[in-house]
Amino acid sequence: MSQEKMIEDMVREVLKSMSKGAPIAQTPQAAPVAATQGLNPDKDYPLATKRPELLKSPTGKKLSDITLANVLNGDVKSQDVRIAPETLRMQAEIADGVGRNQFGDNLRRAAELTAIPDERILQIYNALRPYRSTRAELLAIAEEMETKYNAKINAAFVREAAGVYERRNRLRAE
Amino acid sequence: MQINEQMIREIIVQVMQGMEQPKPTTNAVATGRPMTLVEKGEARPGTRADEVIIALAPAFAKYQNKTIVNVPHSDVLREMIAGIEEEGLNARVIRVLRTSDVAFAAHDATKLSGSGIAIGIQSRGTSVIHQKDLPPLSNLELFSQSPLLDLPAYRAIGRNAAKYAKGESPTPVPTKNDQMARPKFQAKAAVLHIKETEHVVQGAKPIEIEVKF
Amino acid sequence: MKRSKRFEVLAARPVNQDGFVKEWPEVGLIAMGSPNDPIPSIKIENGKIVEMDGVARSNFDFIEQFIADYAIDVKVAEKAMAMEASQIAKMLVDVNVSRKEVVDIVRGLTAAKLVAVFNTMNVVEMMMAMQKMRARKTPSNQCHITNVNDNPVLIAADGAEAALRGFDEMETTVAVVRYAPFNALALLIGSQAGRGGTLIQCALEEATELELGMRGITAYAETISVYGTENVFVDGDDTPWSKAFLASAYASRGLKMRFTSGTGSEVQMGYAEGKSMLYLEIRCIMLTRGAGVQGLQNGSVSCIGVPAAVPSGIRAVLAENLCAAMLDMEVASSNDQTFTHSDIRRTARTLMQFLPGTDFICSGYSGVPNYDNMFAGSNWDVDDYDDWNIMQRDLKVDGGLRPASEEEVIAVRNKAARGLQAVFKELGFPAITDEEVEAATYAHGSKDVPARNVVEDLKAAQELMSRGITGIDIVKALAKNGFNDLAGHILNILKQRISGDYLHTSAILDKDFNVISAVNSRNDYRGPGTGYQMSDERWNEIKNISQAINPSDYDA
Repeated sequence: MSQEKMIEDMVREVLKSMSKGAPIAQTPQAAPVAATQGLNPDKDYPLATKRPELLKSPTGKKLSDITLANVLNGDVKSQDVRIAPETLRMQAEIADGVGRNQFGDNLRRAAELTAIPDERILQIYNALRPYRSTRAELLAIAEEMETKYNAKINAAFVREAAGVYERRNRLRAE
Repeated sequence: MQINEQMIREIIVQVMQGMEQPKPTTNAVATGRPMTLVEKGEARPGTRADEVIIALAPAFAKYQNKTIVNVPHSDVLREMIAGIEEEGLNARVIRVLRTSDVAFAAHDATKLSGSGIAIGIQSRGTSVIHQKDLPPLSNLELFSQSPLLDLPAYRAIGRNAAKYAKGESPTPVPTKNDQMARPKFQAKAAVLHIKETEHVVQGAKPIEIEVKF
Repeated sequence: MKRSKRFEVLAARPVNQDGFVKEWPEVGLIAMGSPNDPIPSIKIENGKIVEMDGVARSNFDFIEQFIADYAIDVKVAEKAMAMEASQIAKMLVDVNVSRKEVVDIVRGLTAAKLVAVFNTMNVVEMMMAMQKMRARKTPSNQCHITNVNDNPVLIAADGAEAALRGFDEMETTVAVVRYAPFNALALLIGSQAGRGGTLIQCALEEATELELGMRGITAYAETISVYGTENVFVDGDDTPWSKAFLASAYASRGLKMRFTSGTGSEVQMGYAEGKSMLYLEIRCIMLTRGAGVQGLQNGSVSCIGVPAAVPSGIRAVLAENLCAAMLDMEVASSNDQTFTHSDIRRTARTLMQFLPGTDFICSGYSGVPNYDNMFAGSNWDVDDYDDWNIMQRDLKVDGGLRPASEEEVIAVRNKAARGLQAVFKELGFPAITDEEVEAATYAHGSKDVPARNVVEDLKAAQELMSRGITGIDIVKALAKNGFNDLAGHILNILKQRISGDYLHTSAILDKDFNVISAVNSRNDYRGPGTGYQMSDERWNEIKNISQAINPSDYDA
């Protein structure tokens, strides 16, 4: 299961970098670097102190940009203290490296969810609760995750839930 | 005739025994003031904005008749209704059968309540005030420590529920806290809840109840 | 019958105020070894589990399906399941077998097999195993900060004192749900006034709890409850899939989180299916592992009155803590909620985790007097601070706390209250008066502080949410009012969610905001002289209690 996902992730990273043209010799773009670097839990963790150069917020801020002065002058806003999908995938590598593969998978699902706005995350969570959704509604969420947010692992997860809920009568009665 | 302490005791005992005489009918509770619950078929959504629903858990005043600290269910219900009426609103009583969970029972009832406000109560006494648009396991006010709930508290719960229904923001009923309630009562609470849950009917619709005191 | 005076005295003892129940296995009112617990089994076809603990795949309930597909490592399952339960138990207590060797077997076991392992072990053996299996090398502790009136000034002050006294995590909850944003805000400020780097959470309904985290008002979450039977899971308004999604949602916002479960919850909620409390709890632990959550708060938690009322219940509680550690997860080992009137009994219960050490020995030592504890009271509260410190000193055990002087406690309480006062003023919330600050600084509990206007506070708390106020706004408000150090601490907490280092197993932050977790501080216990060794600095801190007389003081 996890190996499949890992391979899928790697293939996606490679395709992404190919479509961008020259993949090599760029200033470290977090994602491709992470996929190829093979982070080592003993050498590279915690990333904040051992590999700060790999870390950026989704808005492009470095850790060293997050200062009180920059908060007060308005350069650092709430959206600057968020985690980037590339960072989550790097932490997933660390997790795999200490044998916590399920935790790594969770972080890979999380990496996909960074693209989905807070409000929609809360709605999807509520839709996954028992008796909240019909099968069609869950499948529509999976479709949305896949096409709108490129969240393929999560889409498969929601489709699986739809099947289980149907078998166990946990769908909303229409 | 000489009246002594012994004699007074005996008289009191006789009177008490006499009071306990009336045989409980099937639907009336064994202790407390008499009450009859008449089941009137499926409960329907209400249209009156001035009603508050009280949702009884499956066994309340039917298979059990007193709370975890032996407060008679009839007295509990009487006080809750009085609290609601004190605020000029109407109380409607239903029984929820599909769940014994107090939050879900109350939340089901909010959808039927004309005001969108409902109170849920379990046989052991645990109560909640709920509102229609909240998540099921959230609430307006939760009274989770059933051993601490007495009749004035149940009346205050009724009163506050009515105030929410009127669109007011009442001061919440003062929360009581007793860290020794769990050691003393949790296992008993579990037993009472198991006995409540035995009467859950999966998928059953809530029942309208007419209360006669 | 004529009463024996001796029996009258015994009847009046605190322990006889406790509730006890005889086992009732048909409904699951049994801690360990229910006759209805399944017999361990596993069948794997084409890399998929098709039978587990006697249930065919087509009959799996949703918990079983989730465990089979996500929690059990099919590559090692057949080999691991073929081992005798007693052989696995012996590996657990054998100092010559490493933690990793045990973890690599446990990942292939079913719930019934794990139960079989614990059925062979006594509590001393379980404690030995816990010492080795705990994920983080350094043990730690967590507290509860609440009060019966949801008074935010007092929450800030109590949070500051608790952080100073050594808690690495603190948790608040509410008497009235709508107060939640204020409780969280007050604790955030209080915690950082006591010791920068202390992590805080607010226990609430799942979706609301996530929202506060997303805003940066809280730093982690714990009250993500899971249950061991499908019916109870549904009554908890979730499924394994919704909960696993929620776990990923937290991580996607860079927030640390753990699940919560515990023996007794299923029977407490009326659907235990006749299984033992421990068997059902182990399903929860496995499900947590399967969801990829780094840790679990367990040890019966709020249901402790149920296992504590039946035979071998406290042993089952230790077994469930140990099981979470064996599945390589952080364990916040309860020791929180009250379960007895007896000081002897509550101490005995806590020694099970205190002596071997866990990631968080208490997941809720009450940092407030128990009358203010809105988790309905904890097994330990502020009045026990000196007892705890002296137990650490007597036994040379690191229980996560340290003695604190009255002067330093008063100073941090005052600073926290003033910090909150400034933030309330800056954000236009109902004023906190100087009298309130003064009262909270010197208070023992809510009885010592003036009442606030609850209705006005509740309105403002809702406004905090509707105005979209975030952690960054709090940082600004503090800095504008001269609380630069507090502002900096909160900013450093927010910064954690960029690197994600503290998402890892058993992560806490030290005073310099360095992450200490089961990645860079792995438990390497291999017998005497190995594993966690108390530093001289720490030992001096524990030794030096103000109550001890100094022999040299008596020299003329």
